[in-house]
Amino acid sequence: MIPTLEQLAERFSRLVATTAVLPQSPLPVTIGSTPAVAVAPPVAAGADHTIAPTAPPPPVQTVDYSLKGYHLDASISPRQVVLAAEILDQNGFALDTITGVDWIAQNEMEVVYDFFHPLSILRVVVRTRLRRDQPELPTISPVFPGANWHERETHDFFGIRFSGHPDLTPLLLPEDADYHPLRKDFTA
Amino acid sequence: MIAPTDIPDRTNLQETFVLNLGPQHPAAHGVLRIKMTMDGEYVTRAEPIPGYIHRMHEKMGENRTWAQFLPNTGRVDYLSALHYNHAFVGVVERAARIEVPPRAEFIRVITSELNRISSHLVWWSAYLVDLGGFTPLLYAFDDREKILDLLEAVTGSRLTYCYFRFGGLCNDIDDVFITGTRAFVTQMRPRLKMYRDLVTDNIILRKRLEGIGPISAELCRKYGATGPVLRGAGIAYDVRKVEPYSVYSQFDFQIPVFPEGDAMARYRVRMAEMEQSLRIIEQALDKLPAGPVMGKVPRVLKLPAGDYCYAVEAARGRHMVRVVSDNKEIPYRVKLRTPSFSNLSLYQEASKGMILPDALALLGSLDLVIPDIDR
Amino acid sequence: METPVDTSQIVQFATLNDLLALSRANSLWPLTFGLACCAIEMMAAGGPRFDISRFGAEVFRPSPRQADLMIVAGTINKKMAPAVKTLYDQMLEPKWVIAMGNCAISGGPFVFPGQYAVVEGVDKLFPVDVYIPGCPPRPEALIEGILTLEQKLTGKRRWPVVKPPQ
Repeated sequence: MIPTLEQLAERFSRLVATTAVLPQSPLPVTIGSTPAVAVAPPVAAGADHTIAPTAPPPPVQTVDYSLKGYHLDASISPRQVVLAAEILDQNGFALDTITGVDWIAQNEMEVVYDFFHPLSILRVVVRTRLRRDQPELPTISPVFPGANWHERETHDFFGIRFSGHPDLTPLLLPEDADYHPLRKDFTA
Repeated sequence: MIAPTDIPDRTNLQETFVLNLGPQHPAAHGVLRIKMTMDGEYVTRAEPIPGYIHRMHEKMGENRTWAQFLPNTGRVDYLSALHYNHAFVGVVERAARIEVPPRAEFIRVITSELNRISSHLVWWSAYLVDLGGFTPLLYAFDDREKILDLLEAVTGSRLTYCYFRFGGLCNDIDDVFITGTRAFVTQMRPRLKMYRDLVTDNIILRKRLEGIGPISAELCRKYGATGPVLRGAGIAYDVRKVEPYSVYSQFDFQIPVFPEGDAMARYRVRMAEMEQSLRIIEQALDKLPAGPVMGKVPRVLKLPAGDYCYAVEAARGRHMVRVVSDNKEIPYRVKLRTPSFSNLSLYQEASKGMILPDALALLGSLDLVIPDIDR
Repeated sequence: METPVDTSQIVQFATLNDLLALSRANSLWPLTFGLACCAIEMMAAGGPRFDISRFGAEVFRPSPRQADLMIVAGTINKKMAPAVKTLYDQMLEPKWVIAMGNCAISGGPFVFPGQYAVVEGVDKLFPVDVYIPGCPPRPEALIEGILTLEQKLTGKRRWPVVKPPQ
């Protein structure tokens, strides 16, 4: 059964509404009859994106596929990643990749989960932000076993800890590596 | 004389030993190490350990301008380099709203499909060498040299192409290429039939591959495996049909799907894909429009801030590029989602309890390129 | 452990040396050591069009004990470097090394300020006899490299270097 974009947006809005969304930033949460479709305020031309934007984007939004390459963008709290993964697993999605992004100027790290559906064009992106000095969030490998390797790679490159992961040892770096190369303050 | 009671009964012993397959091994298809815990000839646990050819592509993405990163894309998966070119130019064109002329799109499709055929030929010949048949390598490399001649005249390289540019191509094709490609398609069809008669229908190959390495569609979904691995498990997922990009929606081609989920199904998918690629090339040559091959691109390319994705169907599966831009000439983050990474991640679960030659047959049927895993 | 005696200082074989060098040069057995993209060009050089078996070098040996030529085709990673060194040490004398491709010569396109994973050239690990530049070098370049190695062994080339037309 292939879900529709609106059904998914609604389920994510309900997920987001159950607990606080992002650390240190209260966000407006649209639930119930108000559709969770909103457009992010445009970033001014030439704006330096390393400064935190003044108006945070809505947590669940449908985006323009022809520009971004995905349909649904959900920002959730780190504690909710397993529930989000379960929603997508029940709807038949597959894990595309897990990306880490080091927002050093905002003192945060972002983990982005991309999902694709084997039977439809739908593309869902789930993102979450962590504190940079202690980046930790639960693993989704019980739901998607493929996340095992993606999380090991993200840990290799950024030092993000996935609690509950069965084997968080280096995957692409040497076994005794203790450096995290894709951090913005990494020097060889 | 040894009496039967003198021979110790080892059937209940659980002695295992660790056998390292690689990183240097003729069947490892590159520098992949698989730590196999063996019970005699049977694999109890096969743990792939990549990282021996990690070449820091994602870190280089943060140290190069958008255009300077293009040669890297050809080296991630060198056998289907044009698909990886396509994904990166696609994501930049999508984000910067750059228009690509139709002639460039058609030539991109023609060259990408030629690249797909040459990649599958290398897979086929290397796989058969693993299984013990050396001769098809000589035939396949001969066909491949014809493709490489065509592509070399147009792109300048034999292997690690860097032919696509933001907004089109760096070089137009000429009549020599068009007649050469038509001649290639004409002579390739009987060759594929010969391979089918001599190799695919060969009883030795069928006994080696049928029923070996079953991978179910649910296992593929859980691990994110795509490409012929998923299509050999019964799911018709091909990015060219499900998330159409470039001008693929204008062509009439089929997605070969086989439901059995074993190594033979994956093998048949790839052989059938070569025939479908020939169909696409013919249609694209017939419909090739005239015009420029390069669109308008700003002199200094900066993408608006935000993140963007683009997915293509590479020879091995779904390849997706995710870039995060902060409105500078240099990307903030480039993430390459490569098919071999996800395809290999299911190896540990799929190879439990297999006998060693079957485990190698399974490994070959996944069609891995190791720098694709390690990036 | 006493230093081994260099027999060439005691005994010289004259023509037999030449004969040994000629037979070694014409039957170089490469180790299957393709690491990355250059490996495919090495396979193409073993294919029917370029055919290094004309020069005696078609018999690729998977085991280092049986090979006398290591064609390092591809990038050496810091994780891979101990394995490469082990393979080199396992090869028996006389042995030769060809560094094929820019990565094996100097780290290739993967050297940038802040790089953390690539060994910049295989000659940082052990001595190299012939360098073949290219990314990847054409199979003809690999054959030229093998001919250069043969010249290094025997002192003679099979045919003179082709001069491009003026």
